[in-house]
Order: sequence, then structure tokens, then C-alpha cells
Amino acid sequence: MRLSHILLCVLCATLLLYASGAALGAERFPPPQFESGHELPLTTTPSPRSPTYELIDMAVLLGTLSLASWLALKKRSRRGIFYLTIFSLVYFGFWRKGCVCPIGAIQNVTLALFDSGYVIPVSAIFFFALPLVFTLFFGRTFCAAVCPLGAIQDLVLIHPLRLPDWLEHPLGLLGYVYLGAAVLFAATGSAFIICQYDPFVSFFRLSGSLEILILGVCFLLIGLFIGRPYCRFFCPYGAILRILSWFSKWRVTTTPDECIQCRLCENACPFGAIQAPYTAPAPSNYRTGRIKLLVLTILFPFVIIAFGWAGTRLAPTFSRMNSRVRLAERIHLEETGRAEDTIDESDAFRATGQPIEELYDEAILIGKQFTRGSMFFGVFVGLVAMLKLTALTTRRTRINFEPDRSRCFACGRCFDYCPQEHARRKKNGNQPSLIRT
Amino acid sequence: MQKSTHITGKAVAITIILALAIAAGIIAFYRIDTTGRKGCCLGPEFGYDLNAYREINPDLILYKEVKRFSTGLQETRAIAVSRGDSQNIYVAGDSVIVKFTPDGKKLSEFQLENPPRCLTVGEDNTIYVGTKNYIVVYNNKGKRLSQWEHLGPNAYLTSIVVEKNHLFAADAGNRIIHHFDTSGGEINQIGAKDPSRNIPGFVIPSPYFDLAVAADGLLRVTNPGKHRIEAYTFKGDLEFSWGRPSLSIEAFCGCCNPVNFALLPDGSFVTCEKGLTRVKILDAEGNFIGVVAGPQQFIEHEKVCNEKTANRTAVGLDVAVDKQERILILDSCISEVRIFTRKK
Amino acid sequence: MKNSEEKNTYNRRELLRDGMRGALLLGVGTVGGLLTRRTQTDRTAWQIDPYKCIACGNCATYCVLEESAVKCVHAFAMCGYCELCTGYFEPEPAALNSGAENLLCPTGAIIRNKIEDPYHEYTIDEPLCIGCGKCVRGCNAFGNGSLFLQVRHDRCLNCNECSIAKSCPSDAFRRVPADQPYLLKEVQQSE
Repeated sequence: MRLSHILLCVLCATLLLYASGAALGAERFPPPQFESGHELPLTTTPSPRSPTYELIDMAVLLGTLSLASWLALKKRSRRGIFYLTIFSLVYFGFWRKGCVCPIGAIQNVTLALFDSGYVIPVSAIFFFALPLVFTLFFGRTFCAAVCPLGAIQDLVLIHPLRLPDWLEHPLGLLGYVYLGAAVLFAATGSAFIICQYDPFVSFFRLSGSLEILILGVCFLLIGLFIGRPYCRFFCPYGAILRILSWFSKWRVTTTPDECIQCRLCENACPFGAIQAPYTAPAPSNYRTGRIKLLVLTILFPFVIIAFGWAGTRLAPTFSRMNSRVRLAERIHLEETGRAEDTIDESDAFRATGQPIEELYDEAILIGKQFTRGSMFFGVFVGLVAMLKLTALTTRRTRINFEPDRSRCFACGRCFDYCPQEHARRKKNGNQPSLIRT
Repeated sequence: MQKSTHITGKAVAITIILALAIAAGIIAFYRIDTTGRKGCCLGPEFGYDLNAYREINPDLILYKEVKRFSTGLQETRAIAVSRGDSQNIYVAGDSVIVKFTPDGKKLSEFQLENPPRCLTVGEDNTIYVGTKNYIVVYNNKGKRLSQWEHLGPNAYLTSIVVEKNHLFAADAGNRIIHHFDTSGGEINQIGAKDPSRNIPGFVIPSPYFDLAVAADGLLRVTNPGKHRIEAYTFKGDLEFSWGRPSLSIEAFCGCCNPVNFALLPDGSFVTCEKGLTRVKILDAEGNFIGVVAGPQQFIEHEKVCNEKTANRTAVGLDVAVDKQERILILDSCISEVRIFTRKK
Repeated sequence: MKNSEEKNTYNRRELLRDGMRGALLLGVGTVGGLLTRRTQTDRTAWQIDPYKCIACGNCATYCVLEESAVKCVHAFAMCGYCELCTGYFEPEPAALNSGAENLLCPTGAIIRNKIEDPYHEYTIDEPLCIGCGKCVRGCNAFGNGSLFLQVRHDRCLNCNECSIAKSCPSDAFRRVPADQPYLLKEVQQSE
């Protein structure tokens, strides 16, 4: 025991001596010697937020998702969802300043898949994946009461207007365009556009640039009348959730029981997600449908190719989102004399001493990535557009009034309109809810 | 009828609000600056601009550049000129000493064991090289004659000068001048702070510390933190000093200048400064005579210096004077020797 | 007949749905699993590489916070402790005192303390510093470069994409491990 202690001390002392010797031997210009023996202060290094908070965030996400799903599907309580929405807004929005969020996590995951140098934190994976899993089972309960961006839009909706179908469907495509663009720019390491153009983040941070604040105010103003504009028309995560909720195991239905076709809920949904019953044409009337499908099938490859081609034409514009490409273009302008002055960026680049040819090579490589990526982006948008058209052409028979799986935000506003729901509440001993939110 | 107008009014209001919101949203979207193209948008009081001081009145420039040649080294450290008639130019850098003819043609080169910091050439063409902590003596062929004592871990030799059998080494790390005889024996130390002898001590914030022996037999030493040149006897007594801080051309700019200097035969000084890279002539009392080269002649130097911000120990110019009174400036950043002669 | 047909289509649809759900779950799981292999429990934080920074001033205005999270810090071991500090004083100060007209810092965030003649110590008063980098430029122009800008992590929100990082002309921002979130200038190594 004692011998090993002594040996350990000797080892430590030797190491210390070696280290100090090495430090002394290090070739540095010594600071002045102070007669008063003044000691040099150290540069302070205040720490960031403790990693335990990450775990707390993940736990809160799991808790709110579970609670939201239970409230929407089992308890069927609009009031509960409303209060949970406020909680999520306060916690994920104002307390956590809206970052990291599942919407932004799309970019982190994309970057991690394409850039081996980027290490993604576990919390980002968790935030990305958990709402997807919940949606696969319960529908868009994340949107209902967990997402702070959805929460803030949901709470300002005072006078919902219903959008006509011819407007609603095309605008719905925008979300997929945004998703494709976000993946393109994140994969090439150019920008996190979801973060850059997040309209509500200035409210959560209570500071930021004026333009983002105005954009946020505009979204909220629109959201007074057109419910959840960001969620319905722009949100890239919502675009993914729309697809996933098609395959969810359980979903929110307006009626807890059988639909009695009373039509009281027809206009109950402020987002226009409740679909009326629809009788598909009889097989004898399939002709128009069949022709439409045929046309679509013939057009399908042409549309895909056209959109893919359009994507590659747009690639140079997209590539300018990348700072290296912009820098290379600027340096080229200066080298060929077409730009008179130098700017900070070009001065800083020249100060690094990196050869200009290397920069050009980098930019060309990134340009190639963009060409390929933009083609896929174009193909993706074309594909989504064609699938949407196909879905619109092949509408299935619907018997009941029920929310469209992909568009229902599981907010629970429609519960109150259903007489079956009232019956259920009475049976459970609850008074019919008087709160209409 | 009234009811319908009431509804219409509301509809109009909503439409207007929506239209304005959409328009404002689109405008705001396009104005979002994600790439910093607006710049920092700070007012002029946040700017730091020395351009006014980089311009030198052309009437003050007394010298013109006649030759420049590359040293062929990665890291160039010091320059010296032989005292004899050959007037060969010696440049220390990397781990070698390179000898050039006065026209800049490479004559020979010999290896050193350690990277050199400073050098001087004696009357007999013995080469005294200062590494960071000690002095090594070589003969003119490059054969190592002796290595002197290690001056301690804080030592940082920046300049050597030899006069008959006295050798003086400026140690920027210890803020002291070592006085040796030519066989390596230490005679005394000059410049240590000593209130009883009215010696304030050297203030050396960065590793630039130069000295020379003047014709009057006194040492001239820079005291960069005090922006002046001090004169010491060989015994270490401070005789006099001159110099003041200012950005104007007559004085020493910044926080620690001059970095290096050389003496002209008439006793005037050729001083080099960093920050505002300029080389100028001051007379023996420190009065401004004229400019050899101003910041406009060192644009490439300053650009490269900014690259090397990680290493600020090698950005100063070194200077030597030959028998024809040509001024040889060693630009360590671009590894070149630039030769200036007086304009007629 | 129609009912059983409907029921069959319903079951088929349900099967397809279950199948897709399984496939999607597998997909999400695979992506998550792939990424967790190359992950760390710590987050990353944003930091400025002081050797790339050109002190352009964007740090003061592009931070999403009103008071920027970037502040000037001092590497005391690199400082020359000069009486005439070019990071503290205007290029041609009228006098070497703390009069406002002599100071470089527009917000007066540098404090000058005399240690002993002629050495003075310069410290940054962080609440006053806005991260404009004027003192950094002054120190780099003439001095040893001991003043530099760093992101202070007791203030930084650690946004997923740092607005200052996007606007930095010299690309000086990078992600660093959150347990070692500073890139301090060391006392320079000579070669």
C-alpha cells in the first residue's frame, strides 16, 4: 500500500516536473517581471448551459407529446389541449427560446448525413425522431400542443376564414418546396434556412433583427384570420408529418363513436380539415377518372424530368447561398478587374494565404454538389405535385364527417360540435364544455 | 340591407389587413440579411483607420530603392554586413547563414545547429550568431568555433554587436544587455533597473531589442517601451537618451518602437518601426532628417504580416548599413533584402 | 356483399397502412441509429478562432441578442503591459490618462490599472463591452495582439445557426465541444 503510494507520488512529481520543464522550455517571449510580484490574471471562461438541461428538455418533450396524444385521443379534452399549448409555448418557446426544435432538427440530421465532420448532438436526433414516431401512432399531436410555433399561431386565431380548395391545395405544396430547399442547403453545408427565416423566433428571444420581427408580426396578423398559416403552408416538418400521419395507427376523429351525419361539425374546423362524406363515382362512371389518371400517368415522367431540369438550371442561384461560392465569385471579379474595391471577405481570404486556385476548386466542387442536389430537389417537387394531383383525382368514398388525416392538427376544437361527444361527456359525468376556444 | 353592409365592411377590413400583412411579409423576407452584406452598420466612432498616417510627404523621402533580392529562406531573421572591403551581406534564417555579394548574388551558405535570431560579423570576419538562449561563434567558412553559456530559459536574444574584444548581446526576454569578451567570458550586465544609478530599466513589450556601438564609443540601445534610444558606457552608466512617442513621422509610433536600427558613418540613425512600417533617418541627437521608406513601400510586407498574426515575433524589419552608405533593409515577412541609396 | 367487399378493402388498406408505418418506423430508427454512432452527448457551442478574426465589428450587430454575446477578452500572458497601450488609447492621445477623448473604446469598457511604473494592466469590463473589436484592431496594429474577441457562453443562446457566424467575413466561427468552448490565444510559440 504505502510503496505504491510513494511510487504514485514520484510518478506525479516527475510528470509535473516534465510538464513545467516543457512549459519553461517552450519558446515563448516572457511577459515582464513585476518587482511587486504581481500575478498575471487568467482569462475567464464562463461555462455554457449544463448538459443536464438537454436531458430535461428531452424528458419534457416526451412528456408533452404523451400528454398531448392522451388528451387528443383518449381524454378528448379541448381544454386540456389548450392549457398544454400554453405550457409548450412558455417552455419550448419563451424559456428555451425556440431552439433546438424538431423543425430545425431536419437540417441537423441532413447535415450529419452528408458531412462526416459534423457531429450531431443526441438531443437533435431525439427532437427530430420522437415527434415522427408519435405521429406514426397518434397523428399530428405534436402540432396540436407541443410545437411552440404552432402554439403561438393557434392562440391568435380569432376569426377563422375558410380557404377555397383551389387555394388550399397549391399552397400546401409550398411546405414540400421549403422542405426540399432546406435539405438541399443543409446537405451542402450552406445555410440552415429554416433557422434563418423562422418568423416567430424574435418573439421567443424578445430580440433580433427588425425584418424577422416584421415577418413574425405579418404571420401573426395573417394568423388572426387564416389559421396556422406557417403550419399549413410553410412548415417543412409539417410536410413530413402530413405524409407520416397518413399511416398513423390511431387518429383524432370528431365523433367518439359513430357519425350520425348531423352535419353540425361541417364548419367546425378553423383549418378546414373536416371532410364531408363523398361518394366516389360508380364504376360505370369511372371513365372521366380513368382518363384523368391516364393523362397524369403519361405526364408523370415528363413532369419529373422537366422539374429536374429546372432544378439544375436554378443550381447556380442556389449555390450562391454557400459562402465559399460567393467568396470565389467575388475573388474572381476582383482578379479579372471587374470589381474595383476589395471587401472584408476578400481581404480576409487573401490574408489566409490560401491559393486562389484552391478556392476556385472548392467552389466548383460545391457547384457540382448543387447541380446534383438541385436536380433531386426539382424531381422531389415534381413528384410531390404529381402525387397530389393523383390523390385529388382518385378520391375515395368517405361515409362520415371526419378530419383529413394529414391536415388535422389534433387541436380538438371540433369535439364540442359533435352531439355524440356531448353524450359521451354526459355519460362520464362531465358537464358539456362551455369553453369554446 | 344594413346587415349586408356591416358584413361587407368587416370583410373589407379583413382583406385589407391580410393584403398588407402579406405584402409586408414579402418585403421583410427579401430584406432579411443572412450573409452580412450590410456590414456592421456601426457608426464612425467604431472605426479604426490609420490611413492618414500612412501617407508620407514625398519631399521627405530621401532614398530610393535600387535593388531587391530574395533570401531564399522560409524564415528570415537578421542581416549584417561584413566590415571588410568585400561588403558581403550575411543573412540569418531557418537554420542557416547565407552569404551574398553586395549585388545580391548568393555566394555560400552554411548550416547551424539551431535556428538563429541575430548575428554580427567581427572585424576578422568571425561570425557571432545568437540563438534564443546562447551565442555560437563560427569562422567565415562555417566551422563552429565555440558555443557560449546558456543564458537561462527566459533569455531571448535579439541583437548582437561586436567591437574589438567586446561583445554585447541584447536579451529581450531578460530585459538586459550581456557584455562579454570575445572568448565568451561575461564582463557585466548593462541596463538593469537601478534607481541609484538613474537607470530606469528596459521596457520590452515585444521581442524587439536592438543595439549598436557608435563612433563616440558609447553603446546605443533601443528602449522600445519608452520610445527612445539610450546611450550607455561599456560599464553600464546611462549617459543620455532621446526619443518620444507619437504617430507623426518625427517620433516613434505605437506602443513599442523602434524595433531595429543601424548607424550611418556620420553618427545618424536609420530606425525601423512596426505598426506603421517605416524606416527613417534621425541625426545623432534624434532630430528628424528624412524618410528612407514609408508605409506605402511596405504594402506587401504588411499584407503578409497580417497573415502571420499568430506569430508576432518575426514581423519587424532589420536594417544594416554598408560602407557605401547603402541602407539594406531585411523584410522578414516577404524574405527579401531591399537596398536603398540616397537620392541626389 | 358490398359490406364484405368494403371490409376486405378496408383490411387490405389497413395492412398496407401498417406495413408503411412499420417501414417508416424502421426508416426513422435507422437514421437515428446511424447518427447516434457518430454522436456525442455534449452539444457543440459556437466560438471565434482569434487567428482568423479580423475584428470587423459584425459581432456587435449581428447577434440575435440586443447585447451581443461576443466580448473582448485579454490574454494577459501575451500583453506587454505598456504605458501607451494602442488597444486602450486613441492613436494620438492628448494625454495618457483615462479622459474619454483619449480612449479608443467607444463604450469605455477597458479599465487601466497601474501595477508598477511603467507597467499597466488592462482589463475588460464585460457589461460595457459590445464586441465591436476596435481595441482588437488597435492591439493588433502595433501591439502583441493580446486582445481578441470570444463568444461568452454565459450569454450566448447557442442558436442552431449563429447569425454572426453567417455574417463573418473571414469565416472565423466554428463549432467547438461545449465542454471546451473557448479558443483562447496561447502565448505564441516561436518556431
